[in-house]
Amino acid sequence: MNGKVAKEDLDSRIFDTLNIILLTICTVIIVVPLWNVIISSFSSGKALAEGGFIFWSPEFSLENYRAVFNDSSIWQAFFISVSKTTIGVVTHVFFCAMVGYGLSKKYIRGRKLYVAMGVITMFFSGGMIPTYLLIKSLGLLNSFWVYIIPALFSFYDVVILMNFFRNVPDSLEESAKIDGAGDWHIFLKIFIPLSMPAMATIALFNGVGQWNDFMTTKLYITDQSLYPLQMMLYEIIVQSQTQSMQNIGGSAVIETTTKGVQLATIVITTLPIVLIYPVLQRYFISGMMLGAVKE
Amino acid sequence: MFKMNTAAGKKGVKLCAALLTAVLMITGCSGGSGGSSEGNWVSIEDRYTVDPEKPAWQLDKKEEATDLTWYVNADWWNTDFGKDIVTKKIKEDLNINIKFITGDDTKLNTFFAGGDMPDLLTVFDSNSPVVQKAATWAMPLNDLAEKYDPYFNKVAAADTLNWFQLADGKTYGYPNYSNTQEDYDSGNIPAKTAFIIRKDVYEALGSPVIGTPEQFQSVMKQIKEKFPTLIPFGFNAIGEGTGSLGDTLQDFIGVPLETENGEFYDRNLDEDYLTWLKTLNTVYRDGNISDDSFADDGTAFEEKVKSGKYATMLLDGTPQQGGNLQIYLSANEGKEYVAIDGPQSTKGNAPTLNQSGITGWMINFISKDCKDPAKAMQIFTYLLSEEGQTLMNYGIEGETYQTKADGTVELLPAVKDMQLHNADKFKKDYRMGEFMFFGHDRHKALSADAFPEAIKQMQEWGKGKLKPHFILENISPDQGTPEARALSAINTKWNSTLVSMVRAKDDASFDNALAVYKSFLGENRWDDIVKVRSEKMKQNKEKLGIQ
Repeated sequence: MNGKVAKEDLDSRIFDTLNIILLTICTVIIVVPLWNVIISSFSSGKALAEGGFIFWSPEFSLENYRAVFNDSSIWQAFFISVSKTTIGVVTHVFFCAMVGYGLSKKYIRGRKLYVAMGVITMFFSGGMIPTYLLIKSLGLLNSFWVYIIPALFSFYDVVILMNFFRNVPDSLEESAKIDGAGDWHIFLKIFIPLSMPAMATIALFNGVGQWNDFMTTKLYITDQSLYPLQMMLYEIIVQSQTQSMQNIGGSAVIETTTKGVQLATIVITTLPIVLIYPVLQRYFISGMMLGAVKE
Repeated sequence: MFKMNTAAGKKGVKLCAALLTAVLMITGCSGGSGGSSEGNWVSIEDRYTVDPEKPAWQLDKKEEATDLTWYVNADWWNTDFGKDIVTKKIKEDLNINIKFITGDDTKLNTFFAGGDMPDLLTVFDSNSPVVQKAATWAMPLNDLAEKYDPYFNKVAAADTLNWFQLADGKTYGYPNYSNTQEDYDSGNIPAKTAFIIRKDVYEALGSPVIGTPEQFQSVMKQIKEKFPTLIPFGFNAIGEGTGSLGDTLQDFIGVPLETENGEFYDRNLDEDYLTWLKTLNTVYRDGNISDDSFADDGTAFEEKVKSGKYATMLLDGTPQQGGNLQIYLSANEGKEYVAIDGPQSTKGNAPTLNQSGITGWMINFISKDCKDPAKAMQIFTYLLSEEGQTLMNYGIEGETYQTKADGTVELLPAVKDMQLHNADKFKKDYRMGEFMFFGHDRHKALSADAFPEAIKQMQEWGKGKLKPHFILENISPDQGTPEARALSAINTKWNSTLVSMVRAKDDASFDNALAVYKSFLGENRWDDIVKVRSEKMKQNKEKLGIQ
């Protein structure tokens, strides 16, 4: 009897040890390159050009960041990025939730037709040029709203929300109706609070998408005051790559290298999203729990 | 109820699909109809009367400033206008405001599809349909010059205009860095290719000759022995091309440009060249070419140049690497790279180094939608004139440069100092040498400041070794033809074959890679491609007046 317990104990200890070793290896594999990117972004051009360090840079410098932040328009771009992401996410989630709520009701007329219409758009898109023409005739070229309006609706997200809403028991809705609640009230006060995990997931996906998107800007925006951070940084990177080509004399001092500027850019663009993730993470955990105890 | 709904749903899906198709077709058709078909020939009656002896920008009395949009098909183009000394002067002299828009081919396509074209357009690929079909969307420069600014013909190179003539006998685009035979003959365009070696290495080895394959192999061995930390031989990053091991090496050892009867010659299979590839293979097998050299991208290569990792290099584009070579030189005085004769033809051919050809680089157009083509034409003339060229390269006399007694120009000390020590500010405040829509190498010959010290010896070495490759320009099959598709497959195949040959483990795998490539040619319309190329070479010769 005792021997059996001891054996199980040993087994689980071996299991735990192996687990810890494996996870440590995984963590190191993930963390070391990240650390190297951060450390390299704070290195002087000379140190970077010579290379050969992993954990600690022989020569610290803020020049890479200075090169990126040198442009005063970067703050304007930051403002555009933040506003397009926040406005975009809030409107997108709300709009999709509204549609998803409607489509989750079995008594809606023509529900299958709407779903079929949505599914078709998931498989076939108009293509770049027709979309450009559409955006143009809607008068959205060079307008801030080109970031928001075309991004309002995603059928994929609607399907996720629709399925989530379906899991809410019908009886809940019925009892609310008996108590005198209208559709808006039920949607806003019952369904939305109950579906926070799904909302948070979609908000995060959409937020990361909005934050990283620069194709919209490349295609539809020529006014520099509407450039988001990503587009700005994209330009900084391409310009730093071609700098050597354009310099007629060539400076004798290396303050920044292309690689340094790129790394600083990566850190700057990734940081806000990395910081937001832990805030939203609790919803994912509760989301998983919610799934686990489903009837 | 349920049944009814499905029926309605099915019908709905069909209806929807039909509607979608219709919408797609309509939008598809309406695309591409951009631009007026005639061009906007504004009247200049109340502004000025043209004078062939005087540039129109000096005559134009138009009072209000002209706003023009200029699309540049390159994301890296600096879109500022009117802030730095060069563009501020252009803005004042011509009374214009230019709004630059940048983008890539995607954006260019949306312009053509969307129908509102910018006033001026700059593209890069002279083989692209945009350039080939310029007659449909751009205004002819010949007519523009005649109507608005005959002085243009004085500043534009006749050979270049001729070269860009389309089937209707008119020229629509004008490039920068277009070098004519005359430019080559003048000796004002410096070579951009060199075999370079670190001075300390060269001296330590007793300045050996590296001309024959045997000498090359043995010198690389010696370098490895004496300088074990260095990579004996390096070359430009390969990426999707051939780095400097393709045409550059062929030019270096003087592989002929055409067959004896003036037809297309497959330089990749030249015997002399293959001998050298075999030599590179033996050097590789000796461990004297690093495997990294095949994987490095441009940035990684540049960083190796900056830190002097290679003992020798076959370098294409010395001016592009000028900044990096200068950085290395400044930090390692006495160890700088110098150009030497390097690998030579085993058949006694002289080097036939290439420089930018007559096709140039960026090609500028005035679109049919241009609001004021007269003004746009004045910009072309202005930037092409001596005045514009000097402004673009050296700024304003007295403010940024001075002219010396011998006619050459020199940057003022404060400006020079900023160029050397604060490149970012220099770029922002002066932007000299960067606003290069109509840039040309001959104006760089005006000043000792135009190129960094580090590459001057290399340019000196290259004197007399340049030979125009005009006949080989734009001879690829037209885009969209089966030949063009086959050629792109062949080029990719050749690039990978070249790498496999240099990296071959033994003679058998070297020969095998080559044999596979040769049979690949046979399977991919090579004969047709050669025919197209020979035909295009013939047309080139006609345009250039070569027999």
